[in-house]
Order: sequence, then C-alpha cells, then structure tokens
Amino acid sequence: MQSNLNKLENESIFIFRQAYRSIPNIALLWSLGKDSNVMIWLAFKAFLGKIPFPVVHVDTGKKFKEMYSFRDKYVKKWDLNLIKGSCPSIHKIDPSLPPAARSAARKTEGLRNIIKEKNFRGIIAGIRRDEQGTRAKERIFSPRTDSGTWDIKNQPPEFWDQSNFNYPKSVHVRIHPLLSWTEIDIWEYIKCEKIPVVDLYFSKNGKRYRSLGDEDITLPVESSAKNVDEVIEELKISKTSERSGRTMDHEEENVFERLRSKGYM
Amino acid sequence: MKNNKNLDVPRIVIVGHVDHGKSSFIGRLLYDIGEIQEEKYSELKKASQKRGNEFEFAFLLDALQDERDQGITIDTTRIFFKTKKRKYVFIDAPGHKEFIRNMITGAASADIAILIVDVNEGIKQQTKKHSYLLKLLGFEKVITLYNKMDKVGYSESKFLNIKSNLETFLSKIGIKSYSSIPISSRKGDNIVTLSKETEWYKGFSFIQVLDEYKIHENNKSEFIRFPVQDIYKLGDKRIIVGRIESGKIKSGTKLIFLPSNEIVNVKTLEVWPKAKKEYEVGACIGITLSDQIFVDKGNMASDIKAPPQLTNRFESRLFWLSKKKISFNKKYLMKINTGEYEVSINKIKKIIDVESLIEKKKTNVEKNDICEVVIHSSELIPMDDYTFNKSTSRFCLLDEKEIVAGGIVDIRNYPDQREYRDNLNQNIIPVNYAVSEIDRSIKYNHRPGIVWLTGLSGAGKSTIAKNVEKRLFQKNINVFSLDGDNLRIGLNKNLDFSPEDRTENIRRTAEVANLFTKAGFIVLVSLISPYRSERKKARDIRPEIFREIYIEASLEVCSKRDVKGLYAKAMKGEIKNFTGVSSPYEPPEMPNLVINTSKYSIEESVKKLETFILNEFSF
Repeated sequence: MQSNLNKLENESIFIFRQAYRSIPNIALLWSLGKDSNVMIWLAFKAFLGKIPFPVVHVDTGKKFKEMYSFRDKYVKKWDLNLIKGSCPSIHKIDPSLPPAARSAARKTEGLRNIIKEKNFRGIIAGIRRDEQGTRAKERIFSPRTDSGTWDIKNQPPEFWDQSNFNYPKSVHVRIHPLLSWTEIDIWEYIKCEKIPVVDLYFSKNGKRYRSLGDEDITLPVESSAKNVDEVIEELKISKTSERSGRTMDHEEENVFERLRSKGYM
Repeated sequence: MKNNKNLDVPRIVIVGHVDHGKSSFIGRLLYDIGEIQEEKYSELKKASQKRGNEFEFAFLLDALQDERDQGITIDTTRIFFKTKKRKYVFIDAPGHKEFIRNMITGAASADIAILIVDVNEGIKQQTKKHSYLLKLLGFEKVITLYNKMDKVGYSESKFLNIKSNLETFLSKIGIKSYSSIPISSRKGDNIVTLSKETEWYKGFSFIQVLDEYKIHENNKSEFIRFPVQDIYKLGDKRIIVGRIESGKIKSGTKLIFLPSNEIVNVKTLEVWPKAKKEYEVGACIGITLSDQIFVDKGNMASDIKAPPQLTNRFESRLFWLSKKKISFNKKYLMKINTGEYEVSINKIKKIIDVESLIEKKKTNVEKNDICEVVIHSSELIPMDDYTFNKSTSRFCLLDEKEIVAGGIVDIRNYPDQREYRDNLNQNIIPVNYAVSEIDRSIKYNHRPGIVWLTGLSGAGKSTIAKNVEKRLFQKNINVFSLDGDNLRIGLNKNLDFSPEDRTENIRRTAEVANLFTKAGFIVLVSLISPYRSERKKARDIRPEIFREIYIEASLEVCSKRDVKGLYAKAMKGEIKNFTGVSSPYEPPEMPNLVINTSKYSIEESVKKLETFILNEFSF
C-alpha cells in the first residue's frame, strides 16, 4: 500500500477506536456511496472483522435502484446490523431553501429523527475536507446540539489526537474518520483493498456518476472511465469538482453552509 | 511499494499576523499552478464581484459566508494541491488573535510550517506569537515568506531589514529560517516562478523550495511506546489495541507495562484481515500477550531498556485557550497519550511575553497566554520528557466540558518514581513510606537531591560543603552534609583504603544519601571517590537527582595546602593507597559542575555551588 494511504488508514482506525471507546451508543451512516463503503472497510480493520455498532441508512426513498440492490446484497455479505431510517415528506421542509437543497434537507430531518428514536450519542459520517469549503472547516469529532445544529464559529480545539468527549446528554457528536482523505485517495484505497462499489460510478453511454445522491437531484458527468483504474486516471487530470453533479450545491452561494449548520452531513 | 517517500503527502500550515495575506497567498499559488477548478473560479468571481472587489484569491479558502463578508479566516481550512513533484495539503490557520485555538488545531497536524510577514507592516504581535506556538508544537524550522513586496517597490533593503529582525527573533526561540522568500501574492512574484522585479534575490521560488523540502519523521525515538487505546475480547482472545508511537513491535517483543511494571512478551499481532510480521511507528495494531496480566486503557507498554518515567509531579509549558483563568483550586482532566488523569496546577513558574520573550509581570494566566507551570496528579502517570519523545510527552487539559490548555512535559528535574529496581530482589519487600517523598517536597518547597563532591584530598570539598550547607540552611532548605572522614569514624569504621573497601565505602555513603533524599533532604556528599566506575554506581541509585561536582585543584596545589599533613606522610610512604600519590584519581568526564579552587576563592566557590543547587532543586 502507498505510504500516504497507509497513513490515512491508520489515522482513520485510530479515530474509530477512539470514538467507540469514548462515546456510548454510536452508529455509522451508510449512504451506499463509495466513501461510506470505505468507512465500513476501515471499521472492519479497526474492530478486527466485526463492526460492534449498527449502520444506519437514512432512506429518502429516491435513491437509484442499483443502490438499493447493493445495500441488500452487502448487508448479508458483510453481516451488518442495519437500521433503516425514513425521511419526512418535502412539504414539511423549510420552503425558503432552493428546490434541490430543500429536497436534500429531507435527509437531515430523517437523520434527526433516527438519532432521537435510537438515542445515538455519536454518528460516524464519511464527509471529506476536499469535497466542499465548509466541510474543510470540520473537526474530526464535531459536537451537535439536539436539534442537530453546527456551531461553526465556536468549534472546540482539536490537537495531538486529543478531543473532548464530555458533552451534555442533549448533544451528539459527529465523527468524521475520512476528513483528511481526498477523492483520489478513496479510489486508490478501493483499488488497493478491492472494496466493492455500485456500478453507477462507472461509465455507461459516455457518462458516469461521480457522487451519488437522490436520483432526481443527481446528474451524471461526461466520462469514459469504465473501471477503478480508469476513474483514477480521469481524476488525475480532471478540473471539475466532485460534487458538480449535485445540483443542490450550486443553487445559491451559501446554501451548503445553511444546510450544514442545520445538521446536514 | 516502490518510491514510498515520494508518495507521502506533506501537510503544510501557514501562519502569521491577521491580514498579512495567508489565504490570498494560497489562493494565488493554486491559481498559478492551475489547481483551481474552473467552476470554483467562476463561482468565486461572482462572490467577489458581489462585494465590489476584483477577484479575491482568499475567497477560495474563506468559504464560510461570514469570512467572505468580514474578510478574515475564522477556522482552519484544508486545501489539497499537487506540484510536478508531489501532493500537498495546505492548512490555512487564522491569524486573528481571537482564534488561537483554531490556529493550534491547524498547526498541530502539519509537517511543514510557513510563516508569512507583510513587509509593509513588518513583524507584528501574532507573527511572534505564532512562531512561539510553532516551537511549542515541535517545529524547529520554518519557511519565511515576505509578502506584499509590490507595496514597497520590491525594495531589497526593506526585505533585508525585516528579514534580519525576524531571524533574530526566531533564533531566540530556537527556530531556524529554512528559506526566506520575497513574494507578492497579488502579483504572483516568486511563488511559482522567479520574478523579474526582484533580480537582487538569488534564492529559489516558493514551489522550488517546497518541492526540495525534506520531511523528517517527527518521532525518531527507537524505543517502543505503545499506549493502550482499548481492549477487545474476540472469542477467547483478549486483544490490546493501540498505535505504535515509536519503535517496532513483533511477536516475541518484550514489553514493560506501566504503571504496573509487569514485563511480558507479545504473543501474536492482531490485524484484519491478516497481520504482517512486524509493525512500526504510526501503525494501529492489536496484540495478545504471553501471560495474562492486568492491563487497562491508558496504560503504557514500552521498551524494557528505556521505559518512560512514572511521576505525579512535573513541569510543563502550557498554552492557555480558555476564557476562564487558570485556577489552583480546580481539578483538571489531563489527557496524555490514551490515559486520563485528574490533576491540579500547583504553581505558575512564569508567564511568557512572546513579544519580548521575558517574564510577564502578572500572576493570572488568561486566554492565549503561554506559561510554565508545575502540575500535580494524584496518580502516577507514565510520560516522557519532550526532548526525549515528542509524541508521548504532550497533553491537553480539560475543565469539565472544555479543552482549556495544551502542554508539553518537562521532567528533566523530577525523580522517576518507578522503583522497579526493588523488584530485582524478590525477598526484600520495601516498606512503603507512609509519607511520600513528593509530600515532603511540597512541604519543604524544594526537591531532594544528592550533590556529590569529588576531588583530591585538600581540593576543598569539605570546606565548600560546610559553608554551602550553612547558607542553604539559613534559606530554609532541608540540607545535610555527609563527609567521608566523618563517616569513617562510625558507619564505615571497618573499612580501609584498599580498592575493595573504597568501593564499599562509596556504596554505603551513597545508600545513606539515598535515605536522606527519601526524607526530602538535599545531601552534600564530600568524598574523594577516585574511581569513575564507583561514582557511576552511586549515580545509578538515583540518577534523576544525582549531580556530580568536580572540585578541581592540581596535585601540586593540594600537596602544598596539605591542611591535614597527609600528603607529607604519603610522600614518605607512611600512608598506603593515598589518592594522587600512591593510588590513581580519575577526574569526572562529564561533571554537572566544575569548581576550580586554585582559580576561585572559597567565597566564590561556595557561591557557585549554592547557586547551582538552588537552580537545580527548587520548584
């Protein structure tokens, strides 16, 4: 394994173990995308083959059918303890948000409900700093109030692998083991470890998905990359951003920050 | 697997005073090397125009809405980029004084540090504070960028002037300037390519410097440190997991666990899906042990050759991050390695003004202060000194729900309380002292110590010791002088001057001195102790508080003085085995202090030793 992947892998394992040790009742968010599959793989490494907490799929009901069949196959194969969460209808969401962002905000609500229902104190999410500007500002262990809000201006310090875990019961902690990874790191790791991903990431009729969200608000990009190696080669020269196919990001300048401060991943 | 080194992705932190152009510099750099994605560029161009500016490179990093409106960086940001040679991650740390904790969060994980200074404004408060924090975080060198050269007409003298001031400051705090580059983020001078505007500059462009920069692994210590992160039970296996902080571990490696002091072998390595034969620094692994011993989270497994110290009292350099002032009456939670301990702060030694580097005239530690303190814990904590192992000697302090400080450990002057030597003879079980040594130290307000004066007969050992004893006693120090001659009257009556008996004489004297230290005393031992090997044995009893003082005077001077008339007798052959005459004297190779009594008067010699002792053993 390349030394930078090795370093990232070890950092992530350390974070997983630290979270499991320090936070009672945690769960891993499995969005069925490439990043969350890498997370599951890293959790196998951290806990030596058996993940000691549930994985949660917050289902908007609007994912691609390939994603649902992927889920059903690997729940069994990986012996996961899957919890399915559902999302409220669009009418219950802040109407001031632009349309695609409003649709994405359903997931925030769904997540909030399942956290409350199961009383989770920690949620492991596969966000990365290179995806989007406000995600770049995240902490590895990031506290959220019970309404799920992110206090961007008053984040706790985090250094030398030491974090604060002593929070009131009303707070849950978002745990971000992939924060330091980049898109290409993810693909190189998938290649190196032979981690399965949904076929939608690979080119069909000259197009592929670079990032997977709800079917109605996710667009494919022009690409001829038919397998992991070709994806890696493509990314080495690409000048478009990973989330360019996610319409919600581009509707208004600060929409992503607004979504995230309300509890979106 | 080949060329592993090139595949490392260095993490770069860029620090400096607010508005000296950190974010703009990164934005410019990324733009010039073609790393800005097209859609991001046009998105940001729109955002700049909305605020009535030309393209603002800083917006690229300052993605948060608030930052765009106020034009400052609030939190640390990461930006990924690659040059022809390798990939990098940029960490942009905020320069504003209010956001020191974010600067530390950013800088603590970096491999390369860049300090940026506005040549127009010169060195400012945060320039100095950030440099000082870099040093505390373990950096020994920085790349310095002199920004906004376009605003001073690319003046070489302006550049040299500020460079010389900055380098003077950096050298005072122990940081080297690896490379000094005059740049302009606005115009792009000397960032990717060398600029025509600064033909007087003979160095390289920033990118060239960066690509040539060699990353040194932070932790080069060869001794194993494996802090126990957790214990997993899988089937009938009890697996201890953790990250190797230094050294290498394989099956069969012998480890000592602290604080229990138990020594066991590694039986198997546990890694999913399959373990390699050996793991080294940075690896998160699991191990099983050959014998079942009690191991808990936070314990430290380490090399048996050089384990960490166990101590409950130590000094530290702290950076204070909280709005709440430091308090002596509070219990703080200290997190070091994977352990957590309740500690209290006993004393503030000094608060450092990072601008002048002298002590601040105040007694209260407030937000963003840097200070030296003495910390006390109710439990023994395994820890290394910062100069010995960087990764196992740094910690944070929590006050209930808040991280209030970070610090590094200085235990160079504190005794190791791990009395594993007693385990060597299983039949002698030492009685635990009801009053601990540390309790006594706190009461007497100084540490115990053995001050071992060696030198020829007549060099002045006893005279100096007697006078120093008197002066220290007047200063309320618990001090006692042990004199070779006096000991021979009682305890060592049965010993003569043969090599064997001299050895025994030294052993007994050292053990007596040791007992006195347990009672909290500073013991002055005046003993010719001619052999290096024997003095080393004495030192080994309590090396952490043993100080060897060489009272130097030539044989000629001593025999001329001949206060006791012994040299005259020895020359005539009336005394056998007389050191210097009929028996050898081996001068110390590395004494802690040398006092040459043929150069200094008694008064001067006494003063020297007194000052030395006060420095070494006071809190």
